[in-house]
Amino acid sequence: MDLTTQQNDALTELINIGFGRAASALSDLSGFRVSLEVPRITMHAIEQIGPLIGRLVTGEVASVNQVFNGAIAGNALLMLDERSATMLSRLLSEDSAVTGGFDASGQEIIMEVGNILLNACLSVFGDLLQVRVSFAVPRLQVAGIGSTLKTLLSESDALRHGMVIHTHFHLRASNVTGYLIIILGISSFERMLQELQNWEKRQISC
Amino acid sequence: MLKIDSYAATGQMPSKNPFSTRDAMLGWMQDIAPYGLFTTDTDLVIRSWNQWLAAHSGLSAEAVVGRRLIEVFPDVQVRKLDAHFARALHGEVSVLSTALHKYLLPLSPAQRSYSVPYMLQTVRIAPLPAGDEIVGTITIIEDVTQRECQALILRRQQAHDRLLSEALAQLLQSEQPQDIAAGLFSRLGAPLKLEAFFNYLVSADGKQLRLHASVGVAPEAKKSISVLALGEGICGQVALGRVTLIEPHLQESAGEHVQTIRRLGLRSYAGFPLLIGDRLLGTLAFGSYQRDVIAPDELEFLAKIAQYVAIALDRAQREQALREAQQRLHQHAEELEAKIAERTAKLKDTIVQLEGFSHTVAHDLRAPIRSLIGFTEILLSDFGAVVPPDALDLVRRLNAASHRLDALTRDLLVLSRIAGQDVKLTAVDVDGLVQEIVALTPALEGGVVAVRHPLGAVSAHRTLLQQCLFNFFENALKFMPVGVKPMIVVRSELRAAATPGRPGTVTPFPPSPSGPAPTTGPRRRIWIEDNGIGIPAVAHKKIFGIFERLPGITPVEGTGIGLAIVARATEQMGGTCGVESTPGEGSRFWLEFASADGPQAAPQA
Repeated sequence: MDLTTQQNDALTELINIGFGRAASALSDLSGFRVSLEVPRITMHAIEQIGPLIGRLVTGEVASVNQVFNGAIAGNALLMLDERSATMLSRLLSEDSAVTGGFDASGQEIIMEVGNILLNACLSVFGDLLQVRVSFAVPRLQVAGIGSTLKTLLSESDALRHGMVIHTHFHLRASNVTGYLIIILGISSFERMLQELQNWEKRQISC
Repeated sequence: MLKIDSYAATGQMPSKNPFSTRDAMLGWMQDIAPYGLFTTDTDLVIRSWNQWLAAHSGLSAEAVVGRRLIEVFPDVQVRKLDAHFARALHGEVSVLSTALHKYLLPLSPAQRSYSVPYMLQTVRIAPLPAGDEIVGTITIIEDVTQRECQALILRRQQAHDRLLSEALAQLLQSEQPQDIAAGLFSRLGAPLKLEAFFNYLVSADGKQLRLHASVGVAPEAKKSISVLALGEGICGQVALGRVTLIEPHLQESAGEHVQTIRRLGLRSYAGFPLLIGDRLLGTLAFGSYQRDVIAPDELEFLAKIAQYVAIALDRAQREQALREAQQRLHQHAEELEAKIAERTAKLKDTIVQLEGFSHTVAHDLRAPIRSLIGFTEILLSDFGAVVPPDALDLVRRLNAASHRLDALTRDLLVLSRIAGQDVKLTAVDVDGLVQEIVALTPALEGGVVAVRHPLGAVSAHRTLLQQCLFNFFENALKFMPVGVKPMIVVRSELRAAATPGRPGTVTPFPPSPSGPAPTTGPRRRIWIEDNGIGIPAVAHKKIFGIFERLPGITPVEGTGIGLAIVARATEQMGGTCGVESTPGEGSRFWLEFASADGPQAAPQA
């Protein structure tokens, strides 16, 4: 499933706006300068998402899942392998000397990071595409990659298309890579493409 | 707008309300919920406030409902958390983690024992919908103080355990643990948030404490505390009482004993005696300029560190003492060896001089003795008729004594010659040698000597071995009971290795260290058995000494040198000799040398 170059550019710009807002929120929150980079956005049919993510992430993963409804409805998910999740939570919390594994406190940090990121992206979608989006409470899951993907796909029955956004967090001289996945149904996907086009037109007319 | 606030505020069920059933249910759920739950309207005016919040905030529903959230809790705006409420009004759900925010509302922790100013909270802020409309916000607050504090304690324990094992490994591996104790602090200080460290060691006389290492003390102040008497200052008291002393809130303390450390500016102190059993090695103390209290788990950790340092110090001191003792022992051994070498050299010198002297004496004496013998024999033969009979007897005695003197000087000459001789060993055929001796000695003829052939061959010096065998034969002939015909049996046996003999036998001299090295090959022992008077056990060893004779034997019968010659000659040839004997049952003398039979002939010296 490919987007045209124009669509891809427009989508990247939109996501970058969302990430900018998320990075600013994370910087305020942690007191450290946090920047977020989107090196790549790819679009896939839902059945391709599993194999793709399976190649990118291995072992235990921490995922923050937030279902959204409205004119554009779907399932959004931030996925980090356990090492990256632990590192990100330690980098964001002041106590960088925290030892031990990925504990409850660290999991909460990742849930909040996911919440900020997903909220930022989805609300930018809503605001700029001028569609109403409402959110469910985010859920955190720490499980093997296989089981995480299984849960995601079983919850995405009516959903057909997935956007995989490679996400790089830069803070305190470290980099952490995660994956933001937004899964949409056919109508939502078409609506998104259409609204994207409308937005571009408005941009040009401005 | 929701009407649940009216229930929460008044406790009265609202009537004629389109949401009444739902609101009643919501209100009831709010009050039994084990977490904080409040709602606001779109102006962020608090509309409901559950019992849990009332209990933990100290603010009743009546006190807060109807007031704006940021009016009741201005801190929410200061910390920019009101943005989450604003976003909730746009449909967003926010999750606030305790690690990044600590708390949303300043509530009291459920348990006072946790040292946190406010209850640690995990918060969810969500839009409050009514149909398609967002009519306000709903917030859920979860108390995670216990979880977080326990996790903190666990993390600290893990950190302490890691530090302890690192410290232990460092101390055990170190050659100089007394210096590592100071190095340890650089690792422990930061994680424990302690800025000062003092390590005193007890002086050699045990009366003073000397500051061995310290951190976080100004050089000038250090001078004033570098030496303490036992009992002086708090470290002195730790040492004197051999007790751990913990001093929190130092700056508020008026105690005399903490005056010095209070002046240093310390706010808390923990001092530990370094003890091994009852033995005091010193003290180890930690202090903070920032903290008024050192936590119990930290004190436990520091006590363990002190224990480890004490063990390591003790080990270092013992090792040092051991090294010094070994060094002294080594020195002493070297001195002893030098003394022995010096004395041996002197002894050898003396022996050489003595042997030279005895050779000279014996040699020079022989000429006048010969004259004496000659003249007495002339007197007896030529003047026997004219000399009065009494005088003649005297001359005969004089002649006999001269002969004896001659024998003595001859034997002494042999002995001294053997001592100074370098011997070259060859394979000597013992059968031929014995036959030769018998043929040359008239006294041994007539079946006195019975040889059990074959006697084999030994690695020896032919002349010296001949001398030894002759001396044994001569001895056998001399020490016979009156009226008994001498019977000498010569036999030999092959033995597995160099052995000093069977139990009950005596080996007067082991192989000489200066003589040919004994071989590990087979040995041949030559036995010379007689039917003489025998030798008591006490004399078995003595008879091989010079001028040693059997008690009760008149001096006329021997010079007392014969067996000494055997012992010395055997030693020179790398052999051994000995005797087995019982008085009245004859004697069994033996000589043992490396066998020279057949192919495994003894090596040449």
